[in-house]
Amino acid sequence: MKNTALLTSSLLAALLLAGCATNPATPGTQVAAERLAASIVPGRTTKAELLATFGKTKSVVFDSGYETWLYQSPAGGGRFAEFVVLIDPSGVVAKTRQRAPAAP
Amino acid sequence: MRRFLPLLLLFVAALAVGGAAAQEPVAKVNVSTTRDPVDKSYRKMIQGMERFEREHAFAPQAPLRFQLLPRTPDVKMDGITLRVAGDTVSVPVPIGPGNSFILPRNEQALREDAAVLANRKTVSMTWRALIRTPGLPPDTRRLGDLRLECRVGTEAGLVSNNSQMFAWLSNALLSADHVCNSPEGNYLFFADRPLFGVRLRAGDRVEVLPFNMLYAGGDQTPEMLRFCDCQVLLDRTYYAPLWDKTWPDDTLVEFAYMTDAAPAAQAAP
Repeated sequence: MKNTALLTSSLLAALLLAGCATNPATPGTQVAAERLAASIVPGRTTKAELLATFGKTKSVVFDSGYETWLYQSPAGGGRFAEFVVLIDPSGVVAKTRQRAPAAP
Repeated sequence: MRRFLPLLLLFVAALAVGGAAAQEPVAKVNVSTTRDPVDKSYRKMIQGMERFEREHAFAPQAPLRFQLLPRTPDVKMDGITLRVAGDTVSVPVPIGPGNSFILPRNEQALREDAAVLANRKTVSMTWRALIRTPGLPPDTRRLGDLRLECRVGTEAGLVSNNSQMFAWLSNALLSADHVCNSPEGNYLFFADRPLFGVRLRAGDRVEVLPFNMLYAGGDQTPEMLRFCDCQVLLDRTYYAPLWDKTWPDDTLVEFAYMTDAAPAAQAAP
């Protein structure tokens, strides 16, 4: 049992260190804010059109059938604005929202 | 750490299963205890209530309730009954609106290290402290209320995993002071309905929370979700910047939902 605890501790420490070195998850495909705003129309744009136009990006799919997709727009100085798209269960964009880049 | 913790739990689970299989048979010891290891401890919940009293300044106008929320897809949230159960004592706990309740004080139950039991499988629900200042605008919470919910909920041992196997890990990583005071804290809040965005407002200062503070970080895989008490509430989940003292306790946390409320829900008090 002591050996198991020791092994657990050692592997846990290794895993913690490995976790610190892991890159963060893909933050989202980068697309200019103007292009996103001009291309995505709530109530009309479909998921297939988003994929064809901008490619895959970070997304979360919910049990309800809704999905949220995240795009990032370069804002200079290594900062990014967020553009979030809500896709309804029928595959049509329901809403969009934007988040200004964090202050430098 | 937020992203990493579910992976860690998976790892420890796998290790424990492997270790148990490799061990030699050992002498059987019978231990008499009232509480199942994963049931809620009455003593811990009372400790949470005591923390609420000590730190009530975060939310001076708000009362304390606790709330039951669904964790697994099959759990029915209607008709739940709750009681404090010790060796000789059993105290019914009335369930109020939204499956919330006030936990009564009972010295006998404290002495007997009682459990707080619902008529549901323990792992089918998740529990939270519910601290709401009355009179806030619709679709908002108050940051000080959330700060206190985190402290009370963590102190009360409400956020737990499926097995006592994780208890040592919880103690090491999930103390209230760590979780509620650190940007690496991982205390999840649940909005009333599926969220599309969350915004903070303090006077003229307004900021939208980044995507990675919604949906439990936005990178939960199905395997990780099994170990998250956001399993069926993922679309209602958000983190709040509890640690960031530049946001005062009176900061409003404003919600934009995925869909408009149904007329009946809008009319509800």
